[in-house]
Amino acid sequence: MIIMYRTGALLILAMLTLAASRAQAAQLVTDLSEHQVRIRSNFNGTQILLFGAVEVNNADERAQDRDVIVVVSGPSRPVTVRRKERVAGIWVNHDSLTFPKVPGYYAVASTRPLEVTAGVDVLQREQIGIDNVNFGTAFAQSMDGGAEILPADQEKDFVKALIRNKRRENLYISDPGGIVFLGQTLFRATVDIPANVPVGLYTATVFLLRDGEVVDAISSPLYIDKSGLERFLYRFAHNSALLYGLIAVFGAALAGWIASAVMRER
Amino acid sequence: MQIYLPIAELPVNALVILAMGGAVGFLSGMFGVGGGFLMTPLLIFIGIPPGVAVGTQSTQVVASSVTGALAHWRKASIDFKMGGVMLAGGIAGSITGIFIFRLLTKIGQVDLMISIVYVVFLTVIGGMMMAESLRAMLAERRGTPLPVSRGGQHSWIHGLPFKMRFRRSKLYISVIPPILIGFFVGVLSAIMGVGGAFIMIPAMIYLLRMPTSVVIGTSLFQIVFVTGLTGVMHSVENQTVDAMLGLILVVGGVIGAQYGVRAGSRLKGEHLRALLAALVLLMGLRLGWDLVTPPADLYSITDAMPHT
Repeated sequence: MIIMYRTGALLILAMLTLAASRAQAAQLVTDLSEHQVRIRSNFNGTQILLFGAVEVNNADERAQDRDVIVVVSGPSRPVTVRRKERVAGIWVNHDSLTFPKVPGYYAVASTRPLEVTAGVDVLQREQIGIDNVNFGTAFAQSMDGGAEILPADQEKDFVKALIRNKRRENLYISDPGGIVFLGQTLFRATVDIPANVPVGLYTATVFLLRDGEVVDAISSPLYIDKSGLERFLYRFAHNSALLYGLIAVFGAALAGWIASAVMRER
Repeated sequence: MQIYLPIAELPVNALVILAMGGAVGFLSGMFGVGGGFLMTPLLIFIGIPPGVAVGTQSTQVVASSVTGALAHWRKASIDFKMGGVMLAGGIAGSITGIFIFRLLTKIGQVDLMISIVYVVFLTVIGGMMMAESLRAMLAERRGTPLPVSRGGQHSWIHGLPFKMRFRRSKLYISVIPPILIGFFVGVLSAIMGVGGAFIMIPAMIYLLRMPTSVVIGTSLFQIVFVTGLTGVMHSVENQTVDAMLGLILVVGGVIGAQYGVRAGSRLKGEHLRALLAALVLLMGLRLGWDLVTPPADLYSITDAMPHT
């Protein structure tokens, strides 16, 4: 008990110090309009409103050197990118590259285009902008499934193709100028969540930059999950696949039987 | 009316799916075909992942073939013994098909295989149907009856061992051909999401020489169980059966089939068959076109692991 009490006390102390140190630099306050998105049967995509305030230290601070960047990123999963080649007149998936951790969703909004807000080193360090996200060490496979090594420039083509495909599916979004300041301190941004969004735990991170350096950052969680019947069916199909399959097939057979009975009546 | 499909993980217009189910049900009622070979490519065209289209389609085939099989059962036009022998082959075929499907999914070639198999079957079947209905139309215009083509009564099939007597079909033949036919159709069922009647019926008539009166009922009996097994196995192995999508398709199909049966009894057979043939051919050519033209983007992406 005492130990627990002590750790508890230590924790509170630690949090207080952290809060205090934050408070010193406390320049950013943000929140999301929703922390949970439920995918129901009528889900057709949605928008998340992100809003916040930047504290102004002294009145003559120049707003031009201040930038806010919002990054919303979804759960990372391994993704395989395949390249088609013509084999005997038919376009066939040939070489493939599997990246171990690819965010299923990535949206970035900023006050100005990313390349003018900060240097590449800063953006890469903070993984801001989809081009600066590290997908992990890729694993290449030839058509027959054997491992192979692709030259670096080809690997780059695969990375570009991955981003291009995700952009086409509206899962990777960049919106330079998507953050709107209302006066000196308040800002807001809307982030599109498309209908084909993967489920899982998302993080929305707001970066405050001054003169190209990150001076503050706040992360908040965003949970996207199937809900109601969608959730039930998805879980059922994955957790008790056999029972799900049997019910689906017997349900279909029952429908056929009912149809036959109805047709006989008439 | 948008509805989100839980397994396919995308929203679709429920009315479009319902109309598709109805249209294919109408055609299947009119021509007495299952319609799976039309529905799967249609689902793929509107953006349903091919795996989900094939897996889900098997439930729709179960529903429509149960209706058909019950009607034939009441008319006593099912050879259960023959159906049982073909079913044995069909079960083995379906398991093999699922295995092939899984293997090809893993190496990223499943979409290609589905496309190629469809192109081959749609163009061949469509071409044959078109030729046949054109011949029939021409013959009718000239006023000459079609010559009934029947080869010799004895073929190589009668030389095979393991003979069995099928009383209902009035046949005494080896069990090997029916098992092989069942097996082949079982494989197709698993990788194409079809019942396979379009292969099975000609094979039963021309290879096994079964009486036409029992052919359709017997094939439907076999299809119910093989596609049922296929649906369960797709659920277990690939989690690609979308119950929501299946439900809409079944409802549309049941309603469409009612009107199809009535329309089919009223309208002229050859013209409709030519129309269906044209539709099938067109679909085959469209899928084939996609295979040979350079894709808009050479690269495609998929989740590397089935997410749990």
